[in-house]
Amino acid sequence: MRDRALLLGYLAAVVTATLVHDPRVLGAGAVLVLLSAGRDLPRLLRRLLRATLPVVLAVSLGYVVAARDDLATAGAVLLRLDLRVLLLVGLALRVLPAVNLQRALGFSDSLRFLLVLATSQVLAFGRLFADFRHALDARTPARVGPPTALRHGAATAAWFVRRAEHDAAAMTQALDARGLFLDRD
Amino acid sequence: MIATEQLRHAYGPTVTLAGVDLVLAAGQKVVLLGSNGCGKSTLLKLLAGVIAPSSGRVLYAGRAVHEGLRDKGWRRRFRREVGLLFQNPDAMLFNATVLDEIAFGPRQHGLDSAGDRARDWAGRVGLDAVLDRAPWTLSAGQKQLVCLASLLVLEPRLLLLDEPTSALDPRSTGWLVDFLQDLPQTLLVATHNLSLASELGERCLVVGEDHTIIHDGDVLALRGDHEVLARANLVHTHRHRHRDGEVQHRHYHTHDWD
Repeated sequence: MRDRALLLGYLAAVVTATLVHDPRVLGAGAVLVLLSAGRDLPRLLRRLLRATLPVVLAVSLGYVVAARDDLATAGAVLLRLDLRVLLLVGLALRVLPAVNLQRALGFSDSLRFLLVLATSQVLAFGRLFADFRHALDARTPARVGPPTALRHGAATAAWFVRRAEHDAAAMTQALDARGLFLDRD
Repeated sequence: MIATEQLRHAYGPTVTLAGVDLVLAAGQKVVLLGSNGCGKSTLLKLLAGVIAPSSGRVLYAGRAVHEGLRDKGWRRRFRREVGLLFQNPDAMLFNATVLDEIAFGPRQHGLDSAGDRARDWAGRVGLDAVLDRAPWTLSAGQKQLVCLASLLVLEPRLLLLDEPTSALDPRSTGWLVDFLQDLPQTLLVATHNLSLASELGERCLVVGEDHTIIHDGDVLALRGDHEVLARANLVHTHRHRHRDGEVQHRHYHTHDWD
C-alpha cells in the first residue's frame, strides 16, 4: 500500500510540475525536494547535477544560440525549462528508489510482467555495456583519443541495435509459438 | 607474478567473490573451474584491473594493481603484459577490419610495424583469409580467434582467458587447446567444462557456489574428489535405469578425463 501511494504521489507530482509555469513555484519545488533528503542532501545534489548538467548545459547553449536575437525571452523560457528539469529529475531520484515497483504494481499482472521484462533488459544490457567499456579499457594503455572513442561508441551502438533487433525477433517467434497470434490474420 | 589478498567483490548486495587468496607463478598454466555465476569472470576482470575490488587487493609484480593503474607508466606496462579475453568476443571488437582489430593494441602502445605483427599473428591462428573482413561479420569461433590474436600480438606475460572455447566447434576446440599448451605465457583459463580442465592446465582452482576458492591443486587429483566437484556444481547425478529395467541408481558424471 505504501509503495502504491508513493508511486501515485510521484506521478501526481510529475503531472503537477508539468502544469506549473511560474519559475518561483518550480524553484521552490526543487528546493523542497532537495531539503526533504535531509542528511542525504549532498549526495542527492551530486547525483542531480551529474544527471542533469550535461543535458541542461547543451540544451541551454543551443537555445541561446538559436534565439540570440531575443535573449530576454530566451532567458525566461530557459529558466522555466531548466528548473522544471531539475524538479522532475530531483523527484525521480528522491522518490523512486524508495518505491518497490513490484509491490506498487501488484494490482496488475500485465504491468508487473512488463516491469520484469523491462528490468531484465535493463540489467542484461547494463552488464553487456559494462563489458564493452571494460574490454576497451583492458586493451588500451591510456585514455583513447576522440576518433577511437567515436569508433568504439559507434560499433557498440551498432551491436546493441543488432542485438535488440535479434532479441525482438526471437521474442516475437516465442510469442507466436505460444499462440499469441492465433486470433490474427 | 600475480596474487590476490582477501579479494572481495559485490555488485550492490550481490556478492560475487568472497575473500579470494591466490598466487600465480610465472609460466604456470592454471584452470579456473566453477559453475555459471560463481564469480570466475569477475575474478578475471579484477586481475586485469578493469573493475575494482570491494575490499582486498590484486598484486602484480609486487604492486597493488588499482594503485598502480593511476601511474601512467605502470599502467602502460601492465596493459601490455596482462591480456584479458572476454567471454563475449563482441565486447572486444570495434575496428573496421580484422587486420585493424589485431593491430589496434600495437598501435596503442606505439610499437613498430603494427600491421606486420598483426598479419603474423593472424596467420598463426588461421585468420589469413579474413584479414579484410569486418570482425562483426565473422562466425563466433572466428571472432574468438580475432580477440585472441589481438591479445597475443602484444606478447603479454599473463593471459587471462574467459571461456575461450565456449564459441568453438569440437575441431577448433582441439586446435585451441594444443595452441594454448604451446604458448610460453602464464595462463589462467576460466571454464565450466570439466572435461577440458586436464588439457588446459596442470593446476586447478575451483570456485565454489559460495564464491570462494574451494580447491587449489593438481587437476588430476580433483577428478576423484566428488565432494568438491559436487560443491562447485561441476558434476551431476541422475537416475540410471539398467537394461533389465529394474536396477536404478545414481552416480556422478565427470566425463572422460583420460
